[in-house]
Amino acid sequence: MSERHTPPSTEPVLHAQDVDHEYGSVSVLEGVTLPIRADAVTALIGPNGSGKTTLLRVLSGLLEPTGGTVTDRGPDAARRIGYLPQQPAFRPGFTVRETLQFYGSLVGEGDGATLERLERVGLADAADRPVDALSGGMTRLVGIAQATIGDPPVVVLDEPASGLDPGMSTHVFEVATELAAAGTAIVLSSHDLELVERNAHEVAILDDGAIVDRGDPGDVCDRVGVDSLRDAYEESITGDTRTVRVQGVTT
Amino acid sequence: MSPPESSPADGRARTPPARRRLLEAIAVREIRTVARSRSLLLLAAALTAVVVGVTWIGDGFTAGYLPSIVDLLTPLELLVPVVAIAFGYRAILGDEQRGELDVLETYPVSARELVVGVYAGRAVGLAVTIAVPLAIAAVAIAVGGDDPVSVYASHSGADSPILFARFLVLTVLFGLAVLAVAIAISSLVSATRSALGLSVLALVALLVGFDLAIVYGLAEGIVGDSDLLYALAASPLSAYRGLVLETTVMVASGTGPTVASPVSSLIGLALWTVGSLAVAVWAVGR
Repeated sequence: MSERHTPPSTEPVLHAQDVDHEYGSVSVLEGVTLPIRADAVTALIGPNGSGKTTLLRVLSGLLEPTGGTVTDRGPDAARRIGYLPQQPAFRPGFTVRETLQFYGSLVGEGDGATLERLERVGLADAADRPVDALSGGMTRLVGIAQATIGDPPVVVLDEPASGLDPGMSTHVFEVATELAAAGTAIVLSSHDLELVERNAHEVAILDDGAIVDRGDPGDVCDRVGVDSLRDAYEESITGDTRTVRVQGVTT
Repeated sequence: MSPPESSPADGRARTPPARRRLLEAIAVREIRTVARSRSLLLLAAALTAVVVGVTWIGDGFTAGYLPSIVDLLTPLELLVPVVAIAFGYRAILGDEQRGELDVLETYPVSARELVVGVYAGRAVGLAVTIAVPLAIAAVAIAVGGDDPVSVYASHSGADSPILFARFLVLTVLFGLAVLAVAIAISSLVSATRSALGLSVLALVALLVGFDLAIVYGLAEGIVGDSDLLYALAASPLSAYRGLVLETTVMVASGTGPTVASPVSSLIGLALWTVGSLAVAVWAVGR
């Protein structure tokens, strides 16, 4: 298991300040402030529909916030932000290797780097398998490899461990921690609170479009007066955790 | 987002590849997609069968190039738009539905580079799909003609493979213009059903609508007799038909009324192509 370390940098590489986002009349994010540090894994946790994916898309530059700002203070790079969608999918008819080679060619990356990325996520043996013949978990691993192409300073992973077996979930978090140790800012969302507690340097609890607590997982637990992140999560979330809150509908 | 403020980190590619390399990468991906698509290969085979069949049924293999052009013109007016739409209507939409457009947005690829690259790759596939059956027909005519053509000229009164070559090039240009329309449709919609609906609408407009509009304009006096040639150039189908008749049939017969303004028709096809791609760039970038 990977060891969490205290990141040396304090200056955020990406900074969301008072971010709001609305889909029509439905407010999904309200006043979200979240500094993203380099050399650290920042995890977003929260119930389904709490705005995690929207916030990740705003941080990735794929959605313009309707209020507030996102400031990118990262170093120069051909690719500024890597992104793993919540449900990654690739053009059918191509092998895993061809797919990653295509994305690599967009940042001038050679074929050797493609294989290295596949090896990192444990998918080297599937390099010549068609992407449409992969399981959901394997497709996600290809997506994670894709997200790191070009060595972007910030990598955004939307539920990277979803659909993976426990061993691969642990491995994916280890990969995230390794990338952070090498200087990459990792922002991810996850429902696996044990893995988040073990690996994340910073956790932000999102509830109903707002961050209700954030900080080092241990500090968050101390503030709430509980022993585990799961308990802190349950204490921090308002409403019934067994019911999906639909923003704009659930009161 | 605001521009970066800090110094570069070590070990990262700081500059994206040259624009030409990006376009090449995107175009090659499209060419492979087309080459690996069974439905598009089947469509290409069907087009080949129709072109060779029509030429054979019309005795084109023995009659010569010009009779074959006349026989093929009407079927290709219908088939080329259908094939072109099939090549393009899902080109951008497929990437959007899979979420790959979002992923591509995180790479140093602009909407313009993406659209131009996708169009270029699909255009290569479509051009080959149209050119190969016509080239087969041309070779068959050259081999099977009763009176082998010895005059490779474009002057009046002579049948010539050059006339057929013009027909081939104009048919490809027509297909490429409709392909651009299909790419625009592909970038405007977010569902396959919408893409199919809009494609059918575009086909009806291209095959019937614009011609009917010109006829209506003539009947109502909106389009004057002197404006007719330019009005025809505004419709891709009329522009194609006029170009073929003016640069092949009229050249060979050496006489007859002017049926099209070749320059205006070429400009018309170019405007449809560039305009449609501009719409696609806007739609992808919005």
